[in-house]
Amino acid sequence: MKKYLFIVLLFFAGQALAQQHQVTGTVTGKDLGTPLAGVTVKSPSATTSTDDKGQFSIAASIGDVLTFSFVGMETTTYKVSSTKSLSIEMAFTSGNLNEVIVTGYQAQKKADLTGAVSVVNVNDIKDIPEGSATRALQGRIPGVYISSDGSPEGGTTVRIRGIGTLNNNDPLYVIDGIPTTRGLEEINQEDIESMQVLKDAASASIYGSRAANGVIIVTTKKGKNGISRIDVNASSSLQYYNSKLHMLNTEQHGLAYFRAAVNDGSDPNNNQIYQYNWNKDYSNPVLNGILLPEYIDAAKTMKPANTNWFDQIGETSLLQNYNVSFSNGSDKGTSFLSVGYYDNKGIVKQSHTQKATVRLNTDFNYFGNRLHVGENLNLTALKDKLLPIDQIMFTALVQNPIVPVYTLDGGWGGPAPGMTDRQNPVRLIYDNSQNNGYFGRVTGNVFAELTIIPGLKFKTSYGLDYDGTFDRTLRKSYTSGFLADPSNLVNESQNYDGNLIWNNTLTYDWTHGKHSLNILAGQESINYLNQNFFGSRQGYALENIDYAYLDAGSSNILNGGNGASYALQSFFGKANYVYNDRYLVSVTIRRDGSSRFGQNNQFGTFPSASVGWRVSKEDFLKDSKLISDLKLRYSYGETGNQAIGNYYATYTLYKAIYGTDPTFTADQGTAYDISGAGSGTLPSGFVKTQDGNANLKWETTKESNFGVDFGLFNQKLSGSVDYFIRNTSGILITPGYLAVIGEGGMRTFNGGSMRNTGIEVLLSYSGQLSNQLSFNITGNIATFRNKVTYLLSDVLTAYPGNGTTQTILGHSINSVYGYVVQGLFTSQDEVTNSAAQPGKGLGRIRYKDLNGDGVINADDQTYISNGNPDFTYGLNISLKYKGFSLAAFFQGVQGIQVYNTYKTYTDFSSLWPGTNWGTRVLNAWSPQNTKSNIPALTLVDANNEGRTSTYYLENGSYMKLRNLQLGYELGDLLKGAGIKKARVYLQGSNLFTVKSKSYTASDPENPSGAYPIPSITSLGIDLTF
Amino acid sequence: MIMKKYIVFILLFAGGIASCKKELDKQPQGVIASSELNTPTNVDKMVIAAYSSLGNENLHTSNSLWPWGSMRSGDAYKGGDGPGDNSEWNDYEVFVTNQNTNGLTDQMWAQLYNGIARANNALQRVNAIDASVYPQKTQRQAEMRFLRGNWYFMLKILYNRVPYIDENIPTTSYDTVSNVSYTSDGLWKKIESDFQFAVNTLPAKQTDVGRPTKYAAMAYLAKSLLYHAYTQDDNHAVTGIDQAKLAQVITLCDSVINNSGYALATDFGDNFLAETENGPESIFAIQYSKDDGTPHGRIDMGHSLIYPMNQAFGCCWQHIPSQDLVDAFKTDASGLPMFTGYNNTIATQPADFLSQTFDPRLDHTVAIPGHPYKYEPNFVYQYNWARDPATYGPFSELKGAVAADDASFQKIPPFMSSSKNWELIRFSDVLLWKAEALIETGQYLAALPLINQVRQRAANSTARLKQLNGSFTSNYKVVTYQPGVNCTWTQDYARQALRTERRLEFALEGNRFFDLVRWGTADTYLNAYFASESVIRPHLKNAHFTKGRDEYLPIPLNQINYSKGVYKQNPGF
Repeated sequence: MKKYLFIVLLFFAGQALAQQHQVTGTVTGKDLGTPLAGVTVKSPSATTSTDDKGQFSIAASIGDVLTFSFVGMETTTYKVSSTKSLSIEMAFTSGNLNEVIVTGYQAQKKADLTGAVSVVNVNDIKDIPEGSATRALQGRIPGVYISSDGSPEGGTTVRIRGIGTLNNNDPLYVIDGIPTTRGLEEINQEDIESMQVLKDAASASIYGSRAANGVIIVTTKKGKNGISRIDVNASSSLQYYNSKLHMLNTEQHGLAYFRAAVNDGSDPNNNQIYQYNWNKDYSNPVLNGILLPEYIDAAKTMKPANTNWFDQIGETSLLQNYNVSFSNGSDKGTSFLSVGYYDNKGIVKQSHTQKATVRLNTDFNYFGNRLHVGENLNLTALKDKLLPIDQIMFTALVQNPIVPVYTLDGGWGGPAPGMTDRQNPVRLIYDNSQNNGYFGRVTGNVFAELTIIPGLKFKTSYGLDYDGTFDRTLRKSYTSGFLADPSNLVNESQNYDGNLIWNNTLTYDWTHGKHSLNILAGQESINYLNQNFFGSRQGYALENIDYAYLDAGSSNILNGGNGASYALQSFFGKANYVYNDRYLVSVTIRRDGSSRFGQNNQFGTFPSASVGWRVSKEDFLKDSKLISDLKLRYSYGETGNQAIGNYYATYTLYKAIYGTDPTFTADQGTAYDISGAGSGTLPSGFVKTQDGNANLKWETTKESNFGVDFGLFNQKLSGSVDYFIRNTSGILITPGYLAVIGEGGMRTFNGGSMRNTGIEVLLSYSGQLSNQLSFNITGNIATFRNKVTYLLSDVLTAYPGNGTTQTILGHSINSVYGYVVQGLFTSQDEVTNSAAQPGKGLGRIRYKDLNGDGVINADDQTYISNGNPDFTYGLNISLKYKGFSLAAFFQGVQGIQVYNTYKTYTDFSSLWPGTNWGTRVLNAWSPQNTKSNIPALTLVDANNEGRTSTYYLENGSYMKLRNLQLGYELGDLLKGAGIKKARVYLQGSNLFTVKSKSYTASDPENPSGAYPIPSITSLGIDLTF
Repeated sequence: MIMKKYIVFILLFAGGIASCKKELDKQPQGVIASSELNTPTNVDKMVIAAYSSLGNENLHTSNSLWPWGSMRSGDAYKGGDGPGDNSEWNDYEVFVTNQNTNGLTDQMWAQLYNGIARANNALQRVNAIDASVYPQKTQRQAEMRFLRGNWYFMLKILYNRVPYIDENIPTTSYDTVSNVSYTSDGLWKKIESDFQFAVNTLPAKQTDVGRPTKYAAMAYLAKSLLYHAYTQDDNHAVTGIDQAKLAQVITLCDSVINNSGYALATDFGDNFLAETENGPESIFAIQYSKDDGTPHGRIDMGHSLIYPMNQAFGCCWQHIPSQDLVDAFKTDASGLPMFTGYNNTIATQPADFLSQTFDPRLDHTVAIPGHPYKYEPNFVYQYNWARDPATYGPFSELKGAVAADDASFQKIPPFMSSSKNWELIRFSDVLLWKAEALIETGQYLAALPLINQVRQRAANSTARLKQLNGSFTSNYKVVTYQPGVNCTWTQDYARQALRTERRLEFALEGNRFFDLVRWGTADTYLNAYFASESVIRPHLKNAHFTKGRDEYLPIPLNQINYSKGVYKQNPGF
């Protein structure tokens, strides 16, 4: 059987001779547009198969149904409507081995892979309106941990195979050959043709110094030879906020306050809001009534309200998504143009992201296909409402229900005496709703590929990836309760970041008998530049965004700016060798130089090697009916990480700082009012900012990967298992330092090591229940264990532990260190006989005396959680029946202890006495309510119950129905309108969550106040012309 | 032809390699190398950078030292939104839960050493430059040593045993300098030698009001010697008072009092208003500024959390005067302070301040419901401006604050503060140091006029303390001590009079706790205070001062770890 090694064969659609009653056409693979040979084509009267160029000719009449079938591909049918030449596309079913996979500067057949590479089934996430391909992929790839909030802009955190470093853990993205560290939320999901994740170091090491966190390769769509089409898809969704926390209403808050005060033996009427009619008997209190004041403020602008703040900030909102793409292709070249528009009004009022994308990918063929020239270009424009989401979510949690949204005269309600100084979250929304951030990004490259002799190709590509941000914000003056600021301020800022990337590769393919060899050599240079500046003024006569330009401000004129740069120079080579389709060897080496590192270690070398054995090709398995594929893999590789900031490490540097914003951190400035003038320009000096370290070098990750790929029953059941051991050493850390050194004493060292081990399993089963009903079930499960194996002793105290006898060494970097809670003190005996604990008492939290010394103090802490899940999983089930398709995707995290920071608000009246509390406090422990595990209400936290302890640890395991999609192919219904294909679908996201009963907040995926994750229902249509 | 293409390609590669070293040579952006800073102009700027540290404080680490000197002294509570708000301060306030991991203890340590490092860096450059191109050389040396002395003094009273590093120690051996390399006595001598150098070198007057004068150095030297005179053993117990040092204190204070030109301000309140800053009483002050080209001004962030909850301010109501302090301002029928028994009844309601007599300094120091805030009759402090009166009572601090319409006021959302100077040493301090030294050397009669001078000024400081209708805010009555008329002036009585006078004169200015430790009375005084005050302030129920431990902060655990055990922990931690 003849093999093709990722050869781009060209096909000549018009060449086949048309005969009467003969239907002709070409069959291509859907993903890469390559012709498919050997496809069985059936008509009612005949059977044939396609030739090397994917062409066929078969006797058929108008109205006949042709069936196309091929091992590993989904069977396709076509109803003959004319005698014109046909273009048929076939899609791979999962588990197919002939799939061509982009693995870094080149592509390989899946069968020949020796590393751990996951292929994303882009079809699975089609029409999921998350605004970001990575968000839609959550849970779908074993070993790739994606977390996200519900914000409209679609930001995600992606971790591949655990936590590899104490620094930046983001993977490297390579989009059409352009490496970038920006995520995929700025790329139109519909433009993505394929995605691959290079998980092990051997696969990723071709990207050398930036590959330690894994590499995600994205290839965008191109036009296909012989295909001319227009695709339109549109969807409209509603998003719902259904994960609101239960907070006290006005009356409940009054009741909780009363109970807390009486428990303390203090007069409950000694507060500025609630007055109580009660029997004044502390041992047997009887509350006859709660009296609210007529007004809650002295100025009499606010009457007592009963505000549910989460209801006030949330709304059901609209999400729209539109895409049109045009593609054409011939043997002279192809072109692809797509325009996308994404409009997401989030579930927090006024939040809004609008994103427009344009993509143009073209290529040209010359000299009988020996020269191939082309470009990829992506333009993204994004407009984002700049709301202080964290503050809005937090104030909705803590603002008191008695505070009205508006005052009687239509102003902003706000905190009244006796409350904490938290803003009205509705004011935060509307006083910022005029502020937008604008973002633009240009990514693209031009390339030329020359075939020097058959098999030897030279390719050069020059790319750029530039993005710019422009923000103009108006901070309005306001009065809101006792909070007020009569000043206003306009701030304008601009930032631009850019990469220029030039790479050159030479590849040689050679096949002789049973030997197949492929060699790659390349060079790459990357130049990065960042510049930013801002200006701000105050004293605006109008608080209108159309007026709020810098020129219109009259006072406090400020500006500032900064910049950074770095460069990378790299050389790399790779060789893949296959003997007799059975024995696979691959060797890679990359040498990188970076301006970020010290003169003594500016270059790093990253080698890797991998081997594979296709056992199923051996004679003893060749004819097995059971085993259709079996491959054993082993790889070892080294990768680096340089994502640690622009240190200019060799230099000891000083800076003229003048003054910095001292709001939350001390002024670092060097200016001083030495003359006592009190204002005006001040004399200023310089301060040291860093100590040089010429020996600084890369972080290095060394990884071994053991893998097996298998397929049973002619690939009906397929899967893979990977086990990895990943050691990162020389982790760059900038430790705290002996304070006597003074400012600028920080030096960066290669001072830490970490180890991750893990297993990833992927299983897929495809079946056909009847001629019309087919299904596919794909599941994955993954787990990792993380531990810190070495750290400079100087930095140990910066991590959980006591820094001396209990350190993070040997523990997960996500560990939580704190006290162990044994429950509450429920009897006076218990209180008397327990270890000395300042503040102990009935109904108080009882901490465990871990060292048994009879005193509860700092020495009674231990590691109470490793912060990581036991395992994560995903399960995708899809069914097809006639024109209908149904897909359900479940995603889950199991065995994670989440530190629920909300609990300091929902469970205590003492930790934040001036805020609102959760309804849970109504069920607090009392002598009459002894079953409760919620501490007794008090207003004074004498027992320091906010300390880190197991009280706040909760089982954060969950399973979510991430997506449920029902689609229907309209088939021939619209043929008359020139529509080749039409599909309508209903789609739901995050429709339900199964979580532990013991989890007390609303969404275990979002234990602190990030943007809430919405449930989404969509209606959409896909049309092909 | 094929070969030719190969050659082209190889050349391309070679070109890449040749260019790459240069490509990777990225210059740092927006910074300067150390060697560029040794010109006369830049050396003088390095001196300014050291001064800048005086005001580079964090909202939690005030260079006035109130979180340590006042909040731990029985004069003030933490305040804020209950004990959980800034709980590190709560740990300071109740002592028992204060541990070596308290982040603010570490932050303050670093803040003070940042200043010392800037002074040392400037000194190295000043020492190295030739006086012919830098004529201000010796004076700048003295200024830097004065600043360094100031920061070491603060470290000394906060932490006791600290590593002493001057400009002659190379950075590479900083990690060998232990906090116990010098004895307590040795550290005082190092601090005093810096001030002595400044006394010998600095001019009597400075054009730049921010620079210390010869007399500022004398005052600081006197202060150091006064602290130094009370000798302590290794467990912080006061074992004796060095009479020779007290004699030096008296001489130095005399020189300041008689020759410097500094004097008491006419009105006590002049020391706490921006419009009268750098007045006659201000011997050395932190010069804050605003509208100066920085984002929010170089303002007094150390007092940014003290403002009450109303529309003019709105945050954060911390550093709250204790009930005990308010009551201590009561005067007896004759107009003298009550050494004991002043808190048998408590004064909280407006009527209480009219039915009893008070020292007018009360209304300069404490904001009281019904009393004008910061001398503004139209801006009356309200009970509902208090954030958590159920825990911390109704009062608020005034000395560090300014009125919202004051020119020096600056919002820095969500906080606020002012460009009003903060006086580190004022003239009345010098008077009372001298009085203290006289009393402890048996010359208590000579101390009487000094204390009376301070009291007389207090009695005269009522002009600003009026309600809108012109009536006095409280019922003021202060008289001087008149032996044989209203008191019997013995050494013991004089000591009590001095110590009470210091409390009233410097209340909330960050001195009180250090006074108590110097006198050796911290444990008895504070534990008695906790016993009485916790009756009305339950958050103090668990509070306890442990003798032999709580006189000083622990050496921050971080620093001990960074020193790899070179630093030794203070007793008890």
